[in-house]
Amino acid sequence: MGKRICLLMVALVCGAAGAWAQGGAGSRQITGVVTASGGGPISGVNVTVSGTAFAAVSHDDGRYSVNAPAGAATLVFRRIGFKRREVTVAADQAGTDVQLEQDIFNLEAVVVTGQQTGVERRNAAISSTTLAGAEVASIPAPALDRALQGRVPGAYVQQNSGAPGGGTQVQIRGSNTVVGSADPLYVVDGVIVSDASISTGLFAITASGNPQSTRNDGEKQDDAVNRITDLNPNDVESYQVLRGAAATSIYGSKGVNGVIIITTKRGQSGRPQASITQRLGFSELQRGPGTRAFTVPEALDQFGDTALIQSYEVNGVLPTYDHLRELAGNKPLSNETQIDLSGGSAGTRYFLSGELKNDGGIITNTGAQRQSIRANVDQSFADKFNLSLTSAFSRTTTQRGFTNNDNSGASVTYAIAYIPGFVPLKPVNGVYPNPGGLSYIGANPLQSTALGHNDETAIRFVGGLNLKWQALQTERQSLSIVGAGGADFLHQKDDILAPPELFFEQAQARPGRSVLNNADGRNVNWNLNGIHTLTSSSWTATTSAGIQWEDRTLSRSRLVGSGLLPGQENVTQGSVLQGFEENTHERTVALYGQEQWLGMDQRLMLSGGVRAERSSANGDVNKYYLFPSLSGSYRFPGLVGQGSDVKLRLAYGETGLQPLFGQKFTTLQGGVVIGGNVGTTVGAVAGDPTIRPELTKEIEAGVDASFWSGRADLELTLYTRKTSDLLVPVTPPPSSGFSLAFVNGGAIRNQGLEIGLGVTPYRSTNANWLLRATFTSLRNKVLELNLPIPACQNLSDTTCGFRPANAGYGLSYGEFFVQRGRPITQIIGVDDQGNTIYIGQVNPKFRLAVTNEFTYHRASLSFMWDWQDGGVAQNQTLSLYDCNVLAPDDGQPSGQARVDACLNTGDARPFVQSTSFLKLRNAQFSLDLPERFAAWFGAKSARVSVEGVNLITITNYFGYDPEVSNYGAQSITRNIDLGPYPPSRQFFFSIKAGF
Amino acid sequence: MRTRLFAALAGLLVVGACSFDILNTNQPTQDDLINNPTRDKLAAAATGLFASARTGIQGFIWRLGSMGREGINLSGNNQPDFIEPYFGPINGGGSFGGTQWGDRYAAIRSGNIYLAALANDNDLSAAEKSASSGFAKTLNALALLYIVEARAQLGAPVDVGHDVAAGPAPFVSEDSVYGYMLGLLTSAQSDLAAGGSGFPFPVPPGFAGFDTPATFILFNRALAAKVYSLRATAGCGGNAATCYTAALTALAGSFIDPTPAAFSSGVFFDYSTAPGDAQNTLSDPPTGLTFFALQDNITDADTQTTGLKDQRVLDKLMPAVDTQLLSAIADIPGELKFTVFMTGGAADPGHSIPIIRDEELVLLRAEAEWFTGAKAAALTDLNLVRQNSGALPASTVGIGDPDAAFVTALLYERRFSLLWEQGTRWIDARRFGRLAGIPPAAAGGNVVSVMPIPKSECDAIGLSLGPLSTDPNVVTCTPLAP
Repeated sequence: MGKRICLLMVALVCGAAGAWAQGGAGSRQITGVVTASGGGPISGVNVTVSGTAFAAVSHDDGRYSVNAPAGAATLVFRRIGFKRREVTVAADQAGTDVQLEQDIFNLEAVVVTGQQTGVERRNAAISSTTLAGAEVASIPAPALDRALQGRVPGAYVQQNSGAPGGGTQVQIRGSNTVVGSADPLYVVDGVIVSDASISTGLFAITASGNPQSTRNDGEKQDDAVNRITDLNPNDVESYQVLRGAAATSIYGSKGVNGVIIITTKRGQSGRPQASITQRLGFSELQRGPGTRAFTVPEALDQFGDTALIQSYEVNGVLPTYDHLRELAGNKPLSNETQIDLSGGSAGTRYFLSGELKNDGGIITNTGAQRQSIRANVDQSFADKFNLSLTSAFSRTTTQRGFTNNDNSGASVTYAIAYIPGFVPLKPVNGVYPNPGGLSYIGANPLQSTALGHNDETAIRFVGGLNLKWQALQTERQSLSIVGAGGADFLHQKDDILAPPELFFEQAQARPGRSVLNNADGRNVNWNLNGIHTLTSSSWTATTSAGIQWEDRTLSRSRLVGSGLLPGQENVTQGSVLQGFEENTHERTVALYGQEQWLGMDQRLMLSGGVRAERSSANGDVNKYYLFPSLSGSYRFPGLVGQGSDVKLRLAYGETGLQPLFGQKFTTLQGGVVIGGNVGTTVGAVAGDPTIRPELTKEIEAGVDASFWSGRADLELTLYTRKTSDLLVPVTPPPSSGFSLAFVNGGAIRNQGLEIGLGVTPYRSTNANWLLRATFTSLRNKVLELNLPIPACQNLSDTTCGFRPANAGYGLSYGEFFVQRGRPITQIIGVDDQGNTIYIGQVNPKFRLAVTNEFTYHRASLSFMWDWQDGGVAQNQTLSLYDCNVLAPDDGQPSGQARVDACLNTGDARPFVQSTSFLKLRNAQFSLDLPERFAAWFGAKSARVSVEGVNLITITNYFGYDPEVSNYGAQSITRNIDLGPYPPSRQFFFSIKAGF
Repeated sequence: MRTRLFAALAGLLVVGACSFDILNTNQPTQDDLINNPTRDKLAAAATGLFASARTGIQGFIWRLGSMGREGINLSGNNQPDFIEPYFGPINGGGSFGGTQWGDRYAAIRSGNIYLAALANDNDLSAAEKSASSGFAKTLNALALLYIVEARAQLGAPVDVGHDVAAGPAPFVSEDSVYGYMLGLLTSAQSDLAAGGSGFPFPVPPGFAGFDTPATFILFNRALAAKVYSLRATAGCGGNAATCYTAALTALAGSFIDPTPAAFSSGVFFDYSTAPGDAQNTLSDPPTGLTFFALQDNITDADTQTTGLKDQRVLDKLMPAVDTQLLSAIADIPGELKFTVFMTGGAADPGHSIPIIRDEELVLLRAEAEWFTGAKAAALTDLNLVRQNSGALPASTVGIGDPDAAFVTALLYERRFSLLWEQGTRWIDARRFGRLAGIPPAAAGGNVVSVMPIPKSECDAIGLSLGPLSTDPNVVTCTPLAP
């Protein structure tokens, strides 16, 4: 199989090379300059001669020079951020200068269709969203992925907590897996980069999960950042989000969760340009649970111990301290400095940038910092070669304290749910009061934040090289060979300390714990492609074929020292040292071929491709899995008035998701000791030597329309996708000797509607109103579960299902349950009668984000509202407060009902809350200063702005933020709220100067 | 040009063909052990077999000991541990009734992997392989012994060596389980006999004296004798005497030794406080609040001529320093501790736990002799234990007495000789039909007849759980009578 594909590829490339018949008699040169309307020259503009394969790129000062056949020619000018323009050049005309207009809706973007191929968006037969980096980066965000919130139809971008430094999950087109990775694939300048969320080891302190668990349930509760946070969003030129299987099938078994293609900024020929952006801001607690005020009789009724209660009385009454504000009431400063420098001449272009960023955390001793530098260099030589180098280095540090689920008293947001408001926590003369019995394991959260720490340092290098060889260019044909490769190296180190003097540590068998966690990741990938274009006067056919190689490793190790000596942080300075090491390694190679045909006056686009992939993650490492795609679109120019363009498109694609490393192996448990000898026994998990990737087949149909002379743009997509060979955890018969196995045994369906809309309702010389909206709605259903349990043998038995890992904390609090015929993210629980019932599901009915931007002269005002309707979360923060009878209304009937649910009836319903919300995600007011002001400090231009982030949240949700995930990025078991880092509201003042 | 292109592509294909068999370097893998066995890997796997034979045995002792009213687990935070065995129902889906199953089959899986690896090995000599095979088969039979002692007439799967994907192994009857075990033990015996002079792996100290193929046979035959006796009381195809005769033959090949000084010798599971090793948590300190002995152990004991109680009661029990009284089971206060796993009156987490001792072999011989007609010899063996271990006057049972009287006397000796060692009282009461003779000890309590099949096993074979028709206090599936 593999051999045949290789031969096929050889034949393809050789066939193309064989077609090297030199054509094109009597060609001529057309030259000119491209400028922006109302601006300077533009470099990097693609200039093509319609109906031929001739093409060129504008360089120094916007100048271009392109071959053209004798006679009249139509030149097409394209560049991202500008509207496409066609200009006819008469036979006797030697050149033409062209002005391009700004393209605010990115209508003219080139949509990626292959490793090295693309198609103009107006012709694209697949849905994709293109965003300008500058637009995304105009609002400060903790991490790059968070900045995409509300901007991409079809994607739920949700924070895991409010902690500084990020921790975000991006879910594109629904929950497509149970045990596989939930993350989209990130490709930065052609390099597949890691977005791993690497456990910090905090669970070794919080005891949030069992480290021996085969499901790593502790590691997932560390509120780890996902490592895309290392990438500086200010360096991004554009984002392209591929959502559908037809688009992502070129990424094979990593494409099911969508692909986010990031292109970083590159230099432009001409005078060196520099810009500096300085931001300064602060943050404050946005929302959180309130405090119950106790009267003395209430407290006595609740806690009984008269002497104890009396000891807290101040002047005969019980005081009420706001512990949350004491804990998270800081208003720390944040700042960010970004410097860009770019320029180029004589075939060399460069872009250099540096960033310094510091985000304060509202909890003492928390925060996040990033320092990054980037150098992107492009060199063209001999007219036929272009070499692009991309390199970025960053250092990201976070201090995130102790939050999330807890079983030891460490998590501060968990612990405050146990402490009545009348118990003082603030230090008196430097001594923290011990809250004693009215606390969780003695923990005083203020002491924990003051003396403990949870610090992380990550070093990251992402670099890539792209060499393009224009092997052939004639009137009818062009052939280019593109080789691209890159590497992503990351190192993450976490240093966590809970010193022995902490009250909760004193309850430990060996007080004083220190965690040293190290992780090394390496992701190397390269591809080699041949792209052949055959052009006639009425059509263009693009044939491409290539090979892609990917090799990635992640090595993690952890040391936990306990029983620390006083004042010592080193893990070796304790009485017991425990270790952990895990190495994962995957290797994937793929061969692919694709044919794109554009004809009928550029109205009809047909495309088909296939990728054949083998991977070390599969059971059969020699088997090539095929991922085909087919798509077509037809344009109706001028259908709804002058300048309008309506396109219908239909696409079918198959994509997949690799099994996780190790699922195919049956491992032996080592380290078994008896009689002084060490041995091996069988492990708990039965590997599946036949394991194969999950397979998703999808049909999407859509309409893309631009009308009102480009003032309105609509993208509407409907899709239905079915994932089969779903990897599910099963409990084999214990008589087999195993207690867990993963098998390909299920199918789910996701269906949805995605709408992107951009309108300029008002436009005049001095004023402009721009409105953008994204709408996402999806529903999913478990179609089949081939589990070896009785309920699943009978197709009419609706109880067929299983409890996924990290499902929750018992049916009295609500738990995830993957069940046939139900939404895959459903939460079930018991009602007050003890019946197990469906309570809700995580996916909302819809999510709608609307951004309005008003510009008047030099001033502009924008704000983004984000509305989520429906969806539920397990609010275990609420259940903590209610089970401790400490929620603000627990003295009243409304609260009493929830207290009864926790303490008496076991009713789960109060603790599974709706996550409907309306958020003002951000607002910005900015002013372009007159040039004379800018000139004061030597700048050409200057802009000042004020930004507010996460300003308003309107919701009935109790406590912190309805966007939350105790277990981090999860396909299904998201939306578990258990003492997260509180959300904050941020304000910034920014100034950006261009030189 | 074309040549260069071909060269480049050929180069790519070479790279593309490089190995995709990336191994898991985090733990040893089953495939590696089976496909590339070496002397050292096999030795480590053999050590693992000793360790997995031991896994869960403490839970076996206190659970069966609770159902047979020897002792009780009064650890306050886990009610099912005393509610299920003392009141019932004992549930296959519960944390008490659903246990003593997976650990044993994991041990068998480990044994089968080891046997598969052995078959592919070229490192060991033929004799060493034979010895290793006999060892692994013996331990697999031991694992099934614990299964059948707990599940008895519910049967058990025995043909469990297949791939997981092949589906659940079928249940076979109790008698077939005995037959399968005896087949294993006999095959192991001949393997061991061809096993040369030594094992190619270290043998833990608990197997001292049984650490060569030749001496391991003594252990193998002791187990065979025990299995024959259990099979005899389970019917033995309608002819109990056949099984008892076979038991006597097996005993003759075992380490049986009528010298009272040898009674405590035998084969043991080792525990220690060394890093990575398992500890004997049944060795509860005198101040511990977990495991307690029932007062009946004293009340039911016979009296020495000195007026003292049975010497075994004096040796194996002591008053608790800290007592435990849980309101959920107020009828049974925790006031007595077992000292069987203590050393010098103190907890000893490194105390070994017997697998089978000489004292038991003597009593097995007494039982087999009685039911094969050698009644005088039976009473001699019975009194050998009674008079030496118990320091009691000889039994009043005579050769003319009915079987029931002998059984009563035998069960008394077995109860106190093997107290808190392997759930003997409960197993014996069931196999001789005397469960009704065990007082429930707590008002409203029930003595259950059998441990249920765990729910996960029932799920896998598509059966639901329900009360057993013969004993509604057992909630299980019944694969043999679905």
